[in-house]
Amino acid sequence: MELPTKRIAGRLATAAMIAAGLSMPAFADPTVLVVAKAQDPTSLDPAVTMTNNDWTVIYPTYQRLVRYQVEDGIGQTTVEGELAKSWTASADGKTWTFELESGHKFDDGTPVTAAAVKYSFDRLMAMKQGPAEVFPTLASVEVVDDDTVVFNLSDAFAPFIYSLSTAGSAIINPAVAEKAKDGDMGQAWLSGHSAGSGAYRVASWEKGQSLILETNPHYGGEKPALSKVIIKMIGEASARRLQLVSGDVDIAESLPVDQLDAISTNPDIEVQSHPSLQVTYLYLNNERPPLDDPDVRAAIAYAIDYAGIIDGILLGNGTQMRGPIPEGMWGHDPSLKQYSRDVEAAKALLSDKDVRELGYLYATTDPNWEPIGLTVQANLADLGIEVEMQNLAYATMRERLDRGEFDIAAGNWTPDFSDPFMFMNYWFDSSRHGLAGNRSFYTNETVDALIREAALLSDQEDREALYREAQKIVVDDNVYVYLFQKNERIALRKSVEGYVYNPMLLQIYNFASMSKSE
Amino acid sequence: MQILSIIRKRLVFLVFVVFGVSVITFTVSHLIPGDPARLVAGERASEEIVEAMRERLGLDQPVYIQYWRYVRNLLSGDLGVSIRTGRPVLDDIRTFFPATIELGVAALLISIAFGVPLGVLSAVYRDGWIDQIGRTLAVTGISTPAFWLGLLLIVFFYGRLDLFPAGGRIATAIGVPPHVTGFYLIDSLIWGNGEAFLSVLRHLALPAFTLGFVHMGVVARQIRSAMLETLREDFVRTAKANGLSRGQVIFGHALPNALIPSVTVLGLAFGDLLYGAVLTETVFAWPGMGAYVVASIQALDFPAVMGFTVVVSIAYVLVNLVVDLTYLILDPRIRDVG
Repeated sequence: MELPTKRIAGRLATAAMIAAGLSMPAFADPTVLVVAKAQDPTSLDPAVTMTNNDWTVIYPTYQRLVRYQVEDGIGQTTVEGELAKSWTASADGKTWTFELESGHKFDDGTPVTAAAVKYSFDRLMAMKQGPAEVFPTLASVEVVDDDTVVFNLSDAFAPFIYSLSTAGSAIINPAVAEKAKDGDMGQAWLSGHSAGSGAYRVASWEKGQSLILETNPHYGGEKPALSKVIIKMIGEASARRLQLVSGDVDIAESLPVDQLDAISTNPDIEVQSHPSLQVTYLYLNNERPPLDDPDVRAAIAYAIDYAGIIDGILLGNGTQMRGPIPEGMWGHDPSLKQYSRDVEAAKALLSDKDVRELGYLYATTDPNWEPIGLTVQANLADLGIEVEMQNLAYATMRERLDRGEFDIAAGNWTPDFSDPFMFMNYWFDSSRHGLAGNRSFYTNETVDALIREAALLSDQEDREALYREAQKIVVDDNVYVYLFQKNERIALRKSVEGYVYNPMLLQIYNFASMSKSE
Repeated sequence: MQILSIIRKRLVFLVFVVFGVSVITFTVSHLIPGDPARLVAGERASEEIVEAMRERLGLDQPVYIQYWRYVRNLLSGDLGVSIRTGRPVLDDIRTFFPATIELGVAALLISIAFGVPLGVLSAVYRDGWIDQIGRTLAVTGISTPAFWLGLLLIVFFYGRLDLFPAGGRIATAIGVPPHVTGFYLIDSLIWGNGEAFLSVLRHLALPAFTLGFVHMGVVARQIRSAMLETLREDFVRTAKANGLSRGQVIFGHALPNALIPSVTVLGLAFGDLLYGAVLTETVFAWPGMGAYVVASIQALDFPAVMGFTVVVSIAYVLVNLVVDLTYLILDPRIRDVG
């Protein structure tokens, strides 16, 4: 009788021979791209997730009605049709009609129709999760014919066309309805699979290890050069770096500054640096003394060492903000007042005030917040103000923010869609006090009127004029301290070609138009 | 039968442990400030959307009702749905737990394979050069941070020599063995794929050594002191006086007796290994419970955290049961009484 162990031993011997001869081959195949991520995606359902880490997979597996334009190889924040051939808006901005381009197909070969568009948005709005937030006034979607679909808004919403480019606006194959369980609208299934018309589809996902994208055989666009994209989950930054250097990985995400600096001299690796729309700023509690006094807030704006923060903490990888709308977003006003450190001016503003103590609320979620706080502490000490560092767990910090229990707090913001609405209306509308966006608890009726009107108009120039006026007021009021726009740095092997950076698409790659040399 | 009565007692005890653990974890996870609903909905979400989320997650109910629901589901083997991943917690645990166990068992075997001989030699050649080396190695093992050792091994064996992979459980090019047990070593054998089995071994080598090395010190020190004690016993002297060879005295008489107290330490060490795997898993991109639990804690995902805690406490009780049963085998005095 032959024992199974004998067979196993035989296999082991064969395997050992293979191993002795060669170590595991790296992905030399030029049609396979490997991306190293720090974290496993959580859900792949476009109507559920709100994190860029998931959008890496969602964006290339689905298509949307519109997409961001690319000009001369540079990603823009303006949009053009993707599934939509053209569109028109009614004069009151409440009715939007889209004509679909024919020839787009889901990965099961069925065509993308107006009914699929309606299905996707009905599902999004019915599920009512985070991604639905960008459509506050969407009332209904109507199918006119196979290629025509109408969106009815209860109120005009100027950024509407931009919100259609978000990951949540993905057009989903209505066949997903068959996968629904216990009335979950296919959520359980879609959290681990894709059902889109994008250039790729999810082939497999080993949780915590790797996720593999393969080309959608029915994709309506040009056949991509990369037949496969492997997304590997590698939690430790040094390990991501090592694998990038050795060539097992083509793109490594989320590398810390020191690691990026260390590999930037490697001849096989390119570290790209781009201005992002992620801003870091300080919330000043406008409702609580002493920061309810505009002079005290102005004094703080003058006291901060902006250049020192950017050079010392970001090692130069950032740009000082000028007002709330960052550079690179339309509506940015280059003529707006920008503060720089002026201790005398700050002291003059405080000459008749008695401000001794302030708290600085932060978490270690963003490693920059602590050194920024220490800088603020040192800067305000020059004015005779003692700053107490209040380090809390992020969840607790957010509760305090929401309730307005702080003096100064650190914060980051990235826009969900490319419209100044994301900054102006979220940050200053008095109806959004707290976590919802107006985290300085600012109230100004004039500003409310200006930004609310800007959200209704459909003409971009008129909107810009309104936002310009509002920006002047809020900058003079020193509602926030505008620190910096961070540079997005991405490390890729030089063999990777055709990557287009877009500040709206962080951690999202244009796999379909990328390729690898060799 | 004594064995049956021990098992029965432990299983009853297990019910109380799970109940206690569930109450404590539930209370703690609900005392932590922070709103999981808002975390899922996105922090800018309007109150309406957050409210809808709270309702969906059952967070709008009073805490005692939430707990009652939890226990009711637990009794039917349902650990709930993870807030973060939206998948049933049991599915997630089924995915990640075998990886941690596989790593933990491999590390335990390594720590025994190196720790026991080291401990025996150190005791036999007490204060000799072997003992000195053993002592140094043991102290180094205990005091070396796993993440540091792990990185060092990766830099050397992957970066320089390219002998072992930097992380993961199996080469992506091979794919994953069809799921049977979740233990890749076993699954790849069932699959009959020698290349896969070898790839799993190669992936397991560095993380298991890292984790095992840290515990090797503990094992070696324990064995050494137990051996020293046994070597002084009368029966050892009698054995020597009867003319048994040195090897027979040490391995036939002293070691089996020294192992009895050591088994307890090994049982405890296994708990430690599960717990200590978190750092090692991160360094080696090992898709185990560590990364999953850390991410769950950060997301205030209490169904996932509770599910993990319950499963680990059950595992811990079971491991201790195995330890007790091992006593019966190792120590005839216990076996024969009763």
